This record gives sequence, C-alpha cells and structure tokens, in this order.
Amino acid sequence: MASLELKQEIQEALKNTTLSRTLGNFCATYPAKREKSYAGVDFEATRNSIKEVKSYAAEHIDELVDEFTKNCTARGGHVFRAKSTEEAMDWIRNLVKEKGVKTIVKSKSMASEEIHMNKTLASDGVLVQETDLGEFIIALEGNTPVHMVMPALHLNKEQVADFFTEYTHEKNEPIIAEEVKTARRVMREKFTTAEMGVSGANVAVAETGTVFTMTNEGNGRMVGTLPKIHLYVFGIEKFVKSLSDARYIFKALPRNGTGQRITSYISMYTGATEVVSDKDADTKEKKEFYAVILDDPGRRAILGDPDFREIYNCIRCGACLDVCPAFALLGGHVYGSNVYTGGIGTLLTHFLVSEERADEIQNICLQCGRCKEVCGGGLHIPEMIMKLRERSYESNPNPVYKFALDAVSDRKLFHSMLRIASVAQEPFTKGTNFIRHLPMFLSGMTEGRSLMSIAPVPFRDIFPTIQQKVENKKGTIGIFTGCLLDFAYVDIAKAVIADLNSIGYYVDMPMGQSCCGAPATYMGDRENAKKTAELNIEAMHADQYDYIVSACPTCTHQLREYKQFFEEGSDMYKKAVELGEKAFDFCKLFYDLGGLEESGDDTPITITYHDSCHLKRELGVFKEQRELLTKTNGINLVEMVDSDVCCGFGGTYSIKLPEVAAPILAKKIQHIQDTGASLVAVDCPGCLMQIRGGMDAHELPIEVKHTAVIIAEKRGLI
Amino acid sequence: MSTTDALYERFKANLEAVNGECSLAAKADAAKVVADLFKEKGLKTTCVAETDFLKELGIVPALKDAGVEVFTDHIRLHAETAQGGISEAQYGIADLGSIMQIGDEVDARIVATMSEDYIGIVRESTIVDDYDAMFDTLCEMPEIPNFVGFVTGPSRTADIECVSTVGVHGPLRLYVVVVQDA
Repeated sequence: MASLELKQEIQEALKNTTLSRTLGNFCATYPAKREKSYAGVDFEATRNSIKEVKSYAAEHIDELVDEFTKNCTARGGHVFRAKSTEEAMDWIRNLVKEKGVKTIVKSKSMASEEIHMNKTLASDGVLVQETDLGEFIIALEGNTPVHMVMPALHLNKEQVADFFTEYTHEKNEPIIAEEVKTARRVMREKFTTAEMGVSGANVAVAETGTVFTMTNEGNGRMVGTLPKIHLYVFGIEKFVKSLSDARYIFKALPRNGTGQRITSYISMYTGATEVVSDKDADTKEKKEFYAVILDDPGRRAILGDPDFREIYNCIRCGACLDVCPAFALLGGHVYGSNVYTGGIGTLLTHFLVSEERADEIQNICLQCGRCKEVCGGGLHIPEMIMKLRERSYESNPNPVYKFALDAVSDRKLFHSMLRIASVAQEPFTKGTNFIRHLPMFLSGMTEGRSLMSIAPVPFRDIFPTIQQKVENKKGTIGIFTGCLLDFAYVDIAKAVIADLNSIGYYVDMPMGQSCCGAPATYMGDRENAKKTAELNIEAMHADQYDYIVSACPTCTHQLREYKQFFEEGSDMYKKAVELGEKAFDFCKLFYDLGGLEESGDDTPITITYHDSCHLKRELGVFKEQRELLTKTNGINLVEMVDSDVCCGFGGTYSIKLPEVAAPILAKKIQHIQDTGASLVAVDCPGCLMQIRGGMDAHELPIEVKHTAVIIAEKRGLI
Repeated sequence: MSTTDALYERFKANLEAVNGECSLAAKADAAKVVADLFKEKGLKTTCVAETDFLKELGIVPALKDAGVEVFTDHIRLHAETAQGGISEAQYGIADLGSIMQIGDEVDARIVATMSEDYIGIVRESTIVDDYDAMFDTLCEMPEIPNFVGFVTGPSRTADIECVSTVGVHGPLRLYVVVVQDA
C-alpha cells in the first residue's frame, strides 16, 4: 500500500514544472529517436545476445572475476574484490590515505554512490569532484539523480545559473551554451591537478582484464588520461567473458540510453596505461591502476534467487524509465534510493539499497509492460515487480485490501455485494451512469474521472433471456464475462454474443464463474488469486466448449496464466492448460473464426483506437481489431499518438495512486482529442471505464465503446 | 565510385551527422589541407603527437610555415593552453563516422582529449565498414593494447534541460583528415 509519505513525495514531484516539461518532452520524443537509432540493427537479436552473454557470466561469475583479476594484474593493475560495500569503502579509504590524495576527479559511477564514496572521503578531508555535468549540478544542489542517464533533468537553466554563480562567485547567465562553457572551465583545473581519477565501468571483460567506460562529455577520458592514480569501482554484474561479448552491450546501450547510435567516447582500459608523471620535465611512467569489484551480499542475493536472477542482465541503459508512463510524470526522486530509479530501480533498490523503500515504490508500477518492449537485457521487469509485491503482501498484508480480496474470491459473497451496491450507489450516481464523487476518504478514486455505476440487472440474469439465432452452427463458445461485463457493461457481453452468433457460433455462459482473480494477483495476494483460479477452472468446463471468449484482455491473460498456480502434471494443472489454450480475447477469436468481412452501415464516423496494455503486450493482438474496424464501411480510423501507452487504469492502480493515474489519463484524453475522432474504440472494459470516466469528468462529447459493440452496431446485429 | 571512395563518403556523412567535419586528401596534399584548416579556423597554436606517418606527411613543417606555433614535446604541459591537437587515428568506421585511438602512448591521448579543436589524421585504407568489423579486428589482436578508444564527433551533453549542446570537457570541434594512402 502506498504510504502517506510516498503520496506526499508524489505530489511534490507533480508540482515541479521543470521536471514535467523537460521529462515530458524527453519521454515523448524518446521512442522515435530510439527507433531511428536502431535503423539497420536488429534489436531483438542484439538483446538476445546480451541475455546470452550476461547469463553465461552470471553462471560463471567466480571464474570470471578470477580470470579478470589474473589478466588485469598481469597488465600492471591491482584488483580488490570487496565482499561488502563497507569493505569496498574501507579499502578505498585506506588507499586514498596511503597515497596522500587530496583531490579526486570522478566520472559517473553508480557503484560509488552505493558505497557513499563522496561523503565518506569528504569526511576525511578529500575533495571528490563529480565531473559529469549533470552529476556536478546535482552535487551543487545537494540532491540525488532524478534519472540514471540524465541526473539533473529536474532543474532548469535558471536554477543551474544560480548554482554556478554561487560556485564561481561570478554572475552566470541562464544560457545553456554558456553554462556548459563554465563547467568546462572550472572542471579543467580539477582535471589537471587531481591526484586520482575514479571511473565506473559499463562492462568488464574477464578474458582480457579490460574495463569499458562510455561517455559523451569527455570527462571519462580526462579522468582516465590525466591523474597518476586511476581507480575503477564496479559491481560483479558488469562482467562478460570475452571482448567480443562486450560488443552487444555497446550496440544497445547508446541507442537505448539516449537514442544515439554511438556515444562520443567508448574507452577501453586494460591494466596500467602510460601517464605523464611530471609535466615540466615531460617524464612518463605507468599509472597506478586499481579495480575495486563489489561482490556484496545484495548482488549475491540477486544471483541466488531464480525469480530475480534476470536482474543481472540489466545493462543500465535507462530505457525502462524513458517509456514508463509513471516515471514520465514523476521522475526519479520519488523512488528514493538515491541511486537507482524507475522500474529497474525498484528491483535494484530491493537488493542493493533498502527493502523497505522497494516495498513502497513497487506501488508506482502500473504493470503496463511497456518497459519490457525496450529493455536492453530482455528483463521481465513488471513480472519481477509483481513478485516483489507478492512477497511484500505475504509478509505484510493490508487488512482493508485483504478483506476486499477475500470477499472477491468468495463468489456468492462478492456477487451479493455487487447486487447490493447496485442499489446503494444511487445517492452517488444521481440517476446517471456515473459515480462522480465519492464521500471522504474514497474521493481520490474519482480524481479526474467518474466511475461507472453498477448495472441494475447483472448480465448473468439477462443471459437466459437472450434469443440466439445461429444459422449453420459451427460450434459453441463459453463466455467468461469477468466482473465488469457481468455487473457493469452488460451491453458489451450482449454484443459479443450477437457478433459470434452472426458467424455461426452459439454462446453459453457457465454460471459458476466469478472474478478472474486479476485484482488479487495485481495486489500481490497469491492465495486469493489461486482460489479464484480453482473456482473458475471448475466452473468454466473448458472441455465442453470449442473456445472460451472473454472481452476483457486482463481476464483472458489471467485465464491463460492459471496453470502457474498448480503443480505441473496435476489434474488441476491439466484443466488449467486446457482452459488457457481455449481462451481468447474477443477480437482475436472473432477475427480468426471468420469475422472479418466488408460490411457496415456506411454512416461516416471517425474513430481512434486505444490499445490495452494486456491485449497488445501480453496477448500480442493489435492488428486484428484495426482490420475489423477499417473493413467496416463508414469507419474512418485515425491513429492517436502513443495509442499503446497505458490509460492509467492499471487494474487497482487508479484506486491506489489516483494522483498518478489522473495525469496519465489526462494525457491520453489529449491525444484522443487531437485526432478529432468522435468515438474511441477499446477492447478492455477497464480502459473503457477509465477513458469514458475521463471524458465525463472533462465534459467531452467523445464516446468510448468496446470494439465488439461497434461491430455489432455497425453491422446491425443489436 | 570505388569501394574505398564509397566507404569515405559514408564515413564523412556519418561524421557530419554528429557535428564533425571531414576532408579527403591525397598523401602529397595532406599537410597543406591541415595547414589550410588551421588558417580557415584561425588556430594559432597546436600540440602534435608525432608518428612516423605524420612525419612522412610533413604536417609539422607545413604548420610552422603557415605561422602556427607547434609543440611536439611537453605535450601534457602545452595542452593546457594550445588550441589545437593533432594525432594519428588507427582506424575509421564508415558506418558511424568514428575514429579509433589505439595504443598506450599518452601524448596521443592527451591531444585528443584536452584540445578545443582536435584534428585526427586517418589513412583511408584503415576505414572499416562498421562497428562489428571494428570489433572483429580488435578481437583478433594477439593482445589488446592498454588503451582503445572509439571517438565519434566532438564531446557533447544534454544534461541541462535535455538541450543537445556540443563541446563539453573534450574537444569542442573535431575534424578528420582522411589521407589516400593506397
């Protein structure tokens, strides 16, 4: 459950206009920039290779660290493998003391942040100068990075000018080009006088003892070229076996990170390189080269946990942040780890920084799955965040949610509650189809949108009265309505039946069915999710039907995943597999069974389509419904910007974090308005509820309908 | 167009796309091309990390003739004030407009890192097709040199308000002179 503190931090982030403008612009242009940078490069193949080489490294980590140590030492370097972050810091502290170092220039190293290097050395009277422009700025501000690749996104040029004025004791104008010049000037003096350079590694190669650093500003090269002592600090997750393995990472890293085909500099250091020891005498010698490798219990915990081992494959490109609808609004500070942010940051925070903080911030994830599409290491970030949520829920169940979810998994209780709600809601609906305001503590639920009202008569009571006319019957399909179709959007269920009847299928509704269990799953309540799975597997009798249809992609996805709750080979497992294999979302099934035909009433209408996260990314359906719509005479389909970005519903998300969901919805509505469409087609009742509610709250005359309903209406089937 | 010319054209286009400048010179003209570049850009001082190839091209005498103050020793000291920096790059990558700095020699790294205007001299015959070809070449080396660097255009940042700005800690401007050596 998101705490009050987190909610306050979220409010603060939302108030930062620089952050929302800069980050908003960046995130809006990022996908196209990234796409362009991949021209001629096969992203899927690249990330598969990354997965392969990093997985190999994870399985052979001890060998690789030993091999690296041997090779780096042979080339004149010194390697220290630290078994804890404290041990790493102590070792570095001693080295700095022993060598009499007073000034250190540092290019970006997230590992050094983990061990609190700057603060610790500062307490010893050593100046640790951040040289990356963004890191320099936030060091002046006394803040932590808001983004892993662009740490100072939350500040505008005026604020930067003020920090620089204070630092240089000269007036700095808020002109970006001038500010960059100031940074060059003040940093030059540090580079040429510092006794030690500290770098972070993007990759370390065992076979050659090589470390890689990628930068754009050139500070990394200064750090690696000028000081006589050079220290690398990095974690065991940076290892790959061979030089050739490293290539895949640098194919994806710049493209995913900043949409560049390559950064200005990629530098590879193998052992001790030559350095000028006395510039006046022009003498040269080998520098002192050290590598401190973090092999702490947190990193070992990642490697030792099969549910999270994949985290090792992360290349720290930050792409998961750049496409995250919640991150685009909030930036990284709310993640609160001081080091890692966004989806991957939530996972890294759990293992490397603070489990308590991770428990909090996992709530920010919408589970929309967009990060998975771009992840350079092919990580299943949302699934891993779900695992965190489950574990958090198991150890600390929220009593209110627990009560609600227990009730939902008890079909009779849940259904009778919904029937009561249908009557009890009246004071709030004021006779419309919406609940616009809820009393007191529930009011956040209606922020920026109206909730749908519960249908007076549930679909299960209507179903027996429906006359199905099926000519040339081809088969029978069982309908899984899910709660929203059963108790709120009965018109969608009716349309699904009419559509399927029109292509020769009779539809039956098994009455024992209940909630699909997705709410429990997404709250992390595995026990109740399993209970509903058992109930529905028995109730749906998949063996008696040709197919199972659902008009809610979240339900469809949930039905397909039931098998995960049961032991492989067990009777329930087999039944779950059969149900999963027969379960399809409406559009896909209707399309595959011959629903595509040139038809329609020819009445012109402009429609735009919103992709549901689950339908597009989990079920892979996005072409079929568009074809169904465009083949319908009269429909002019206009694509909106970011049609596949989450609408903010996210299951229970819009109830948990309405302050984040509301601005995400507002963006979606803006994109819809920009198309000039008078109707939005959706395939998910959750999206429908969210977007329709947003239209109502914003008083916009744009209709929102399920594709099944649009088809039925345009073909005159209902 | 010959294969090498086609590679050069791709190299040039890709380098220009990342704010670099590029010219092609016959071996006999290379020194003049560099000296003209200094005149055109108004550069008065430079450090040069000499190599046999640069000596063969006669870069230093040509610059001196053109009135440029040239430093070939005490590079670390002079790089703090000299405007220009010249070194030989070991390879070029057509597909990216990158040049490669390979080797331990610190002076070559200093001039390419500290100067405001960096001029890389690369032999046309060393331009490889793409990133993978370059990596293959590196992997085939019997021992990886102490330093290997990909350099692609001048230094840059977008750290303030995501506005792309060229020239931060590394060179503000980068020129590559490709010398026809075949």
